Amino acid sequence: MLPSRRAPIVTQLLVYKVGGADETAGRTGIAHFLEHMMFKGTGSVGPGEFSRIVGRNGGRDNAYTGFDATGYHQTIAPDRLELVMRMEADRMAGLRIAEKELVPERQVVLEERRMRIDNVPSALLDEAVRARLFGDHKPYGMPIAGFVEDVKKLSVDDLLDFYRRFYTPSNAVLIVVGDTTPETVRKLAETYYGPIPGQAVLPRRRPAEGAPDLPQVVTRADPRVVQSGWARDYLAPSYRMGETRHAYALQVLARLFGSSETSRLWQALVADSKLALSASADYNALSLGLSTFGIDISPLHIDALPEIERVVTDQMKRVLDGDVTSNEIERAQNQLLAAAIYAQDSLGSGPRRYAAALTTGNGVADVEAWPHRIAAVTASDVVAAARHVWRGDSAVTSLLKPAERAP
Amino acid sequence: MRIVAYALALLVAGLFAGRAEAVEIQEVTTPLGIKAWLVEDRSAPLVALSFSFADGTASEPESQKGVTSLMATMLTDGAGALTADIFRRREEDAATHLSFGASSDRLSGTLRVLTASRDEGFDLLRLAVTEPRFDSDMLDQRRDQAIAGLNQAEQSPRSVAERTLMASMFAGHPYSRDASGLRETLKTLTPADLKGRARSVLQRRGLIVAAVGDIDAQTLARQLDRAFGALPEGELPAALPDWAPPAGSRTIAIERPVPQSAVLMAMPGVLRRDPDWYAALILSHILGGGQQSRLFEEVREKRGLAYSVSASLRSSAKASMLVVSTGSANDRVAEAIHVIQTVLARLRTEGVTEQEVADAKTYLTGSLALSLDSSGAIAGLLHGMQIDGLPRDFLDHRADLIAAVTKADVDRMAQRLLRDDAVTTVVVGKPVGLAVER
Repeated sequence: MLPSRRAPIVTQLLVYKVGGADETAGRTGIAHFLEHMMFKGTGSVGPGEFSRIVGRNGGRDNAYTGFDATGYHQTIAPDRLELVMRMEADRMAGLRIAEKELVPERQVVLEERRMRIDNVPSALLDEAVRARLFGDHKPYGMPIAGFVEDVKKLSVDDLLDFYRRFYTPSNAVLIVVGDTTPETVRKLAETYYGPIPGQAVLPRRRPAEGAPDLPQVVTRADPRVVQSGWARDYLAPSYRMGETRHAYALQVLARLFGSSETSRLWQALVADSKLALSASADYNALSLGLSTFGIDISPLHIDALPEIERVVTDQMKRVLDGDVTSNEIERAQNQLLAAAIYAQDSLGSGPRRYAAALTTGNGVADVEAWPHRIAAVTASDVVAAARHVWRGDSAVTSLLKPAERAP
Repeated sequence: MRIVAYALALLVAGLFAGRAEAVEIQEVTTPLGIKAWLVEDRSAPLVALSFSFADGTASEPESQKGVTSLMATMLTDGAGALTADIFRRREEDAATHLSFGASSDRLSGTLRVLTASRDEGFDLLRLAVTEPRFDSDMLDQRRDQAIAGLNQAEQSPRSVAERTLMASMFAGHPYSRDASGLRETLKTLTPADLKGRARSVLQRRGLIVAAVGDIDAQTLARQLDRAFGALPEGELPAALPDWAPPAGSRTIAIERPVPQSAVLMAMPGVLRRDPDWYAALILSHILGGGQQSRLFEEVREKRGLAYSVSASLRSSAKASMLVVSTGSANDRVAEAIHVIQTVLARLRTEGVTEQEVADAKTYLTGSLALSLDSSGAIAGLLHGMQIDGLPRDFLDHRADLIAAVTKADVDRMAQRLLRDDAVTTVVVGKPVGLAVER
């Protein structure tokens, strides 16, 4: 419970420790499809009523599915917290899925996939990159949205089976932020979630290694593409898997290497050599399994790609050779910590940060220690982290380019 | 400056659990005559500023299309003695964030700064608005990025639909923006063009300012005079011509090789100052404002024709539209459009229910608080209220204005807005079985 009295509102976020990475080949998209069906009613709340009731009470609600977690959240006036907690507990135990609700919702799920992925060439390429990096039928290698042919086959029983296995109090984390008190939240949670019988959930497994046949290059030539793109994604440790001691240094590395226009990549590729329109690096340590360290470039001209790859390699080599100053480290730390301060000013980002940590094997103490651990990173830590992650044998390089349109 | 120690102390102490109070808006007038609205809020050690100048993209000359947005972007690309690189480093080192953008009516900016580096933040703001450099190498970079942005938008069916809708609804009016023309003029813009445009837009007349956070009225006044005081008083730009909505209905289809067609359906709306604004807002919410809306029920819940389907009122100084937006598989998009048309027709002929009106009122009244979840969001609201010409105590009366709307008002709006003879429909994709009238 995170008290905040900035505004007379509360947010309840109930997040289950299950996501797209807990699916099996041939059954992709279950976690996400189930998230949709969670709005289709229980014994006491009719199909679609959940959101209607929240809206009628001046609130907003939604849900999301990630690789490691599925979250349901409502933001509403503090005196309606009891209402949304009662309804959230109700659908934790009493979900009903009827064939007549499932049929149109399957189409909705497929339309969502079309909108987010099939209509978007770069999203299709990302899907291919993940499959190459983590393995075709492996966690994180299969899309959260599911493959169309899998989603078409999923049945009421498939969804209910998944629901019964994972939707239980012992597999959930409740986060409440806003204008209320820990005592109120505890009392309500004991009243509504308390009586739901718990059940054991098997520990989740994530592979300790990526795909065996790396490195790889993936190209997508698509008639819809006007603006080309080049990217390289490395397998990287997270807080929980791989060489986890590098997780904090990697955040500082991503920051100084490519998180703003003063970063090394931007300076080299956009400001100095004028080969690219933009250049960035990205790393997220919050994963139950392995994570990725990504480098993303928008070339000014596609012909300059060999030159761009050379500049990227040079810039990486500088870091690998130990050319990182403590001044740069401190600036990157400044930026990370300042971003965290601004995030605390917003009610929206607070709960999501805790949810991501608590569903990937971290504790509240880890979230609270984050500023200190970031501040403790040294230049030699960053160099060591780069040497560990930037190895030629753990990457997928990808290229998005235009293709002739079919006549 | 060393923020690390300061930030650590803040993050660890968790100082953000301040007391919620009713939003109390002060009006501040600086010694130089700049007016601002301020909400003092000590719960976070930062200030969020939201401001805008009284001119935007719509008034730019035909030969310089795109100049205002490019100029706005480049205000933070170096100023005074600071080159772009140094400027940005100063910004990052002070953990401050300054950004600018232009809409058709106004050029807006936001500043976010921690208390510990407040002077530096306002100083960078002063430099950006009074001494922007527009160096030619940075101009080349931003120009390339702007053109790439237009290219990128061409890849997205939704963006193509938006651009096409704007071109059709505002044909002949300055609000219309022609992307291909834009690409051509972008190529010809010079640093002198940007300087000239900055001179004519960045003036104190019509400047609107809202501030929220850890700052008192006197300090704010001093900082605002420092930041904006050197700008010329200037004159308000000439009013834009009135907009006449296109007569009749039309369907425009743009072919793109995508599995899902993007759809926009636009009708003339009501202006913000129209006395029926709240009735229109309630109608729009009942039609497509959330998961309890008619469109959501008929298009998504019952038939699974779309993931996203919504309606919203869009208003600017001279125009307003009610826009329905969705996306559906190419072979089902004709059915989706037909269902939307049926929903519109039923609302027009049969009206809304008392329950729908009551629910919409509860939502619109309660949801305002939901969006005020950060200092920046509150500053944005205060800024928007001033643009709309609303009084400072508006928030105290907003609920009453909403409560006063009756079912008869909403039904009247449905007959006025949801006409089937004034709908512009844009479909981008490979729609099957769609009757295209143009």
